[in-house]
Amino acid sequence: MKHFVHFRFTLLAALVCLLLPLLVGSGSLATEVLIFALAALGCNLLLGYTGLMSFGQGIFFGIGSYTTGLALLRLQAPLLPSLLLAMLIGAVVALLVGWFAIRQRGTYFVMLTLAFAQMFYFVAYTMKDLTGGDNGLLDVPRPNLSLFGHTLLATTSPWQYYSFVAIVFVLVFWLLQRVVDSVLGRTLLAVRDNETRAAAIGYDITLLKLTAFVISGAVTGLAGGLHAMMTGVAPLSNIEYHTSEAILIMTVIGGTGNLFASVLGASFYVLIGNWLSTLWPRWLMLLGFLLIGVSLYLHKGLFGVAQAVLRKFGLRPPADTASVKEQHS
Amino acid sequence: MSNTTPILCARHVSKCYGKFTAVNDISLDILPGTVHSVIGPNGAGKTTLFHTLTGSTAISAGSIQVEGEEVAHLPGYKRVRKGLARSFQVTSLFPNLSVRENLRLAAQGTRPLQALNPWRRPELLRAACDSAEQLLLRLNLQTVAERLAAELSHGQQRRLEVGMAMAGQPKVIFLDEPTSGMGIDDIGDMKRLIHSLRDTTTVVLIEHNMDIVMDISDQITVMQLGQILAQGKPAEIRSDERVRRAYLGSMITGGKG
Repeated sequence: MKHFVHFRFTLLAALVCLLLPLLVGSGSLATEVLIFALAALGCNLLLGYTGLMSFGQGIFFGIGSYTTGLALLRLQAPLLPSLLLAMLIGAVVALLVGWFAIRQRGTYFVMLTLAFAQMFYFVAYTMKDLTGGDNGLLDVPRPNLSLFGHTLLATTSPWQYYSFVAIVFVLVFWLLQRVVDSVLGRTLLAVRDNETRAAAIGYDITLLKLTAFVISGAVTGLAGGLHAMMTGVAPLSNIEYHTSEAILIMTVIGGTGNLFASVLGASFYVLIGNWLSTLWPRWLMLLGFLLIGVSLYLHKGLFGVAQAVLRKFGLRPPADTASVKEQHS
Repeated sequence: MSNTTPILCARHVSKCYGKFTAVNDISLDILPGTVHSVIGPNGAGKTTLFHTLTGSTAISAGSIQVEGEEVAHLPGYKRVRKGLARSFQVTSLFPNLSVRENLRLAAQGTRPLQALNPWRRPELLRAACDSAEQLLLRLNLQTVAERLAAELSHGQQRRLEVGMAMAGQPKVIFLDEPTSGMGIDDIGDMKRLIHSLRDTTTVVLIEHNMDIVMDISDQITVMQLGQILAQGKPAEIRSDERVRRAYLGSMITGGKG
C-alpha cells in the first residue's frame, strides 16, 4: 500500500467514471464529460504545470476530430488506429504551433496561440473537400473495439460507448499522472515557476515547453477523436475558437496544478451547462459570474473548494503537489 | 596557487544595447581555485559582464573560453554543462516549490536530458537527491527543507540563491552580490560560505561589501563605465590612486581600514 499515494488521484478519476452513470441519465452526456475532462487534462499540463496559457487547444481538439473522422470514413481504419492517428496528428500540430508560439512569452505567447486558432479554423473552413466545411464531416462511423475479428467491446449504444471512453479516460489519466509525477513533470514546474532560473541551472526551456505541448496536443487530439465518434460528426465548431475557450474555462474553474481538478472542472462545465441551458438560454452569463468569482477569490478553483470543504469536516484532503501559492506574472 | 593556466579566459568582450556600450572590450583571466572579485560603482557594467560570461545574454563581440574551449556562442543553459553556474543579484528561486526541490532541480540541471524522462520518479535519481541533502546541511537550511522557497526569510533566500549555483558542482561559480540586502548577522555566514567554495571551485564575485572583498579575494578587477580600471591583489587595489578616486574613496577606510 505504500504506493497508494501515487494512485490516489487515478482511483478518484475511476470513481468518477463509476459514479457518472448513477448521476447522469444520458450516456452521451456522461461521455461528453469524460471527453472534455481529457481535453482539460491536456490544457492543465500546459497551464498548471508549465505556465503556458494556450488559447489554441481547440486546434488540437478539432484536428483530432477530423483525423479520426477521415481515418474511419476514407481509410476504413479500425477504432484504435483511428484514435492513435488523432493523437499522432494532434501531437505533430502541437509541435508546429508550439514551436512558433513559445518563441514569445506572456501576452504575445497567448496572442500567437489565438492567431493559430483563428488560422486553423479558416483552413478547416476552406478545405471543404477534406473537412466538409461548414457542414462538418458527416456520418462518422463508430466501429466496435475488436481484435482479429473478435468484438472485445461493443460501442453501439451510448452507454456501451461510455464504457469504452471511460477505460480510455482512466488509462490516460493514469499515464498523465505518471508524467506529472515524473522527472519531466517536476522539471516543468520549475519552468512554470521561474524560467530564468530554470535556464540558469541548465535546462533547455524550449525543449521542455515543446515536450509539454506535444503531450498536450496528443491528449487533446484523442479527446477530439472520441468526440467525433460520439456525435457521428466532426463539426467545424470543434476547431472553432469557442472550443479553445471552453477547454480553458473548464481548466481554470476546476483549478490548475492538479490533474483531478480538471475532471471536476469539465464535469461542472458540461453538467451544469447542460442543466442550466434547459432553464435559461443565457446560462453562459452565469458561467461568466462564476469565472469572475474564481479569478477573484478561488485561485485553486473547484478543487481548492473541495479541499477546503473536506478540511472543514475534519478530513485530511489529498495534498496537491503542484499548487501555486504565490501568484506572479 | 601553482596553477597559472586560466580556467576562464575572456578576450575583448563587448556588449552593446543599441548605441550604449555596457561592457566595452573587456579581457579577463580567471585562475582556477581563486576568488576573483569584480567591483566598481553602480552602472559600471559588472552585472552585464556576468550576463555575458554566463550566457544570460549574447555578446556583441569577443571570445570566452572555459578550459580552452570556446563558449561565447552557447546559450546560458548549455554553458552549465561546461561548468559555469551563477547566482542572481535579485533573488531568483522557484517560489512555489520546496527548498529541497529547488536544490534537487538545480543539482539535476547538469544532466538536463534526464529531465525529459516522463516515466521515472525523481526520487529514484539518487545523485541529484543526495546533492540536495548535502547542500541543505551546508547552507544550514535543513530545518526549512520542506518550506516553500517564497516563505523563507531574506537571509535564507540569499543562502538558497547561492546554493542553487553550487548544486551543479560547477567549475566556475559566479555570485552576483550574494549579500545584497542581508542583515549584519547573516553576512558573516555568507562570507564563510563563499570562502569555503574556493576549496572545490573557482569563484567570481560581484560584491559591494568591501570588508568581504578585501578579506577573501585573491584577485580584484575594478570596473568603471564598462571598462577595466584596474586589476590586482587586494593590497594593490587598496593603494591604487585611480581606484580611490573613482570608486573606493572612503569606502575602503570605512571598511577594513
